[in-house]
Amino acid sequence: PTTQPYQNEKQTMADSLTCANKFCNTGWAEVLTHMSPYGYANFGIAFGLGFSVVGAAWGIWLTGSSLVGAAVKAPRIRSKNLISVIFCEATAIYGVIMAIILANKVKKPEDPVSELAEAWDYNGFYYAGYGMFSAGLSVGLTNIASGISVGIAGSSCALGDAQDASLFVKILIVEIFASALGIFGIIVGIIQSNACTFPIAPLE
Amino acid sequence: MTTPPPASKPGSLSTFNILHGFPEALVRGMRLSFLQDSDYHHLTQCETLDDVRLNMTESDYADALADINVLTPSGLQGAAIEKLVTEFKYLRTQAVEPLATFMDFITYEYMIENVMLLLKGTLSGRDINELIAQCHPLGMFKESTMRSIPTFESTAQGYSDLYQTVLVDTPVGPYFAMFLQESADRMGGEIRSVLEEVEIEIIKSSLIKFWIEDFSQFVDKLGGETATIMGDILKVRADTNAINITLNSFGTPLNEPAMRMSDRKRLYPAVGHLYPAGTAMLVDVGDEDELARVLELFPQYSSIWNIHSAASADKSIDDAFYERDVQMLELAFESQMHFGVFYAYVKLKEQEIRNLVWITECILQGQKEEINKFVPVFSFHAPWRTKRR
Repeated sequence: PTTQPYQNEKQTMADSLTCANKFCNTGWAEVLTHMSPYGYANFGIAFGLGFSVVGAAWGIWLTGSSLVGAAVKAPRIRSKNLISVIFCEATAIYGVIMAIILANKVKKPEDPVSELAEAWDYNGFYYAGYGMFSAGLSVGLTNIASGISVGIAGSSCALGDAQDASLFVKILIVEIFASALGIFGIIVGIIQSNACTFPIAPLE
Repeated sequence: MTTPPPASKPGSLSTFNILHGFPEALVRGMRLSFLQDSDYHHLTQCETLDDVRLNMTESDYADALADINVLTPSGLQGAAIEKLVTEFKYLRTQAVEPLATFMDFITYEYMIENVMLLLKGTLSGRDINELIAQCHPLGMFKESTMRSIPTFESTAQGYSDLYQTVLVDTPVGPYFAMFLQESADRMGGEIRSVLEEVEIEIIKSSLIKFWIEDFSQFVDKLGGETATIMGDILKVRADTNAINITLNSFGTPLNEPAMRMSDRKRLYPAVGHLYPAGTAMLVDVGDEDELARVLELFPQYSSIWNIHSAASADKSIDDAFYERDVQMLELAFESQMHFGVFYAYVKLKEQEIRNLVWITECILQGQKEEINKFVPVFSFHAPWRTKRR
């Protein structure tokens, strides 16, 4: 088949966009729909977990370096300020929770076939793939922001606590709001991935 | 200028802690060791120096004073400076670039003082060991270098050799080189005649000028919060120097109209709020009235000058400058993730040491009425804090 210009109105766009070669694509729509939903879902799991851990790690070293330094001259701040580190760790836990939920939803077909049947539930298939990819991104990207935010606030909290012990509880409230950002991510992620189920058998 | 630009930037709010979080947190922990209002209150109530000693054992100075049996103002000053130097060296060993170069810059000022002290001392023929004992510990360079300074003869050739062999290796060598170059160009003569003819004080002022300019350039290249805060502090420092040079030159040959343009102008740093318009005006100033007129154009300095002209017995202009400096340096601690806290810590500790020496001297000489004329650091009763209410 070769590229044909529009002959008359009856000819649709799809007909005119046929490829010269069987290896080329007719456009982005074809590229994206030909990416396997299994790939989308598993990348979603990887991004969700990976970005969450990046955010948590960032927050922990931001807070930890200040905590270690300030504790040299003000040792009383040691135990209390570990709460900031725990808040950062919580963002990583959100990522793990999301990753486990999503990983349990990825199921392979019952029959070992090399090509899916005509009656396969393609709607549910693609819905599951896209849903889990974006759930992973929701959690991952919000946790990067949350982790950095808690880290900077935790660093200032440790230094402020070293100066004046009454500041600790007040700055902790700032950190609580910062870690709430991660909770938003996981709530939305769970809602997004709720209805996602991978079909395991063709529709009857 | 003479220092290469920083290899990396300090980093923004989210990346500063990678390399510099630990030293900054150390400084903020050390901030706890400043004497509080209550400590100053107790100290000023003391009758004898033994009472002072007793009060100091509860503060952070307990370890520093443990070796001293009988407290004297100079002994206290020596012990306190040793403590500051120990803390500074600890911070310096924990620092990486560009913080390491920044902290080295802080020490260059004291190195310049030490070099000038050694040069002046050898001209008067004093013993080298006595001179080294008097050197400021923050600005020490190699012992061998220091001991070799007096071995040079006090002749033209001797000075030239001194510079070429000894001073050129010290970190302040480049400033010396620039000063000699500038003077040689101006006088049309050679290096040896410069060192003979120019006074030691003027050499020192020129070196400090080059140091401030170099430091300002370095800090500007660092960028970010550091450039904002340290840039401002150094500008104010440069202006203080310019005003002090002008004030101290009244009544000396430097104030003659012929000398003002050529010599005094060269001592004004090329940074600061007064530069370039203010310093151009300061060149023509011949006495205090003209200085007052020039300073009136700059609101932040007119208020300081009014303190000087109004109550000259109660508070000198140095005290007014100290108060303003303490206010600015305390504000450096209000912001996080920048290098200004290191400079501010050293300067505020110095102010505290000055306060302690003042208090102990007043107690020793029995002048209790003067005892409250110090500038407390991080005080809740500071005039600029209470004025807002």
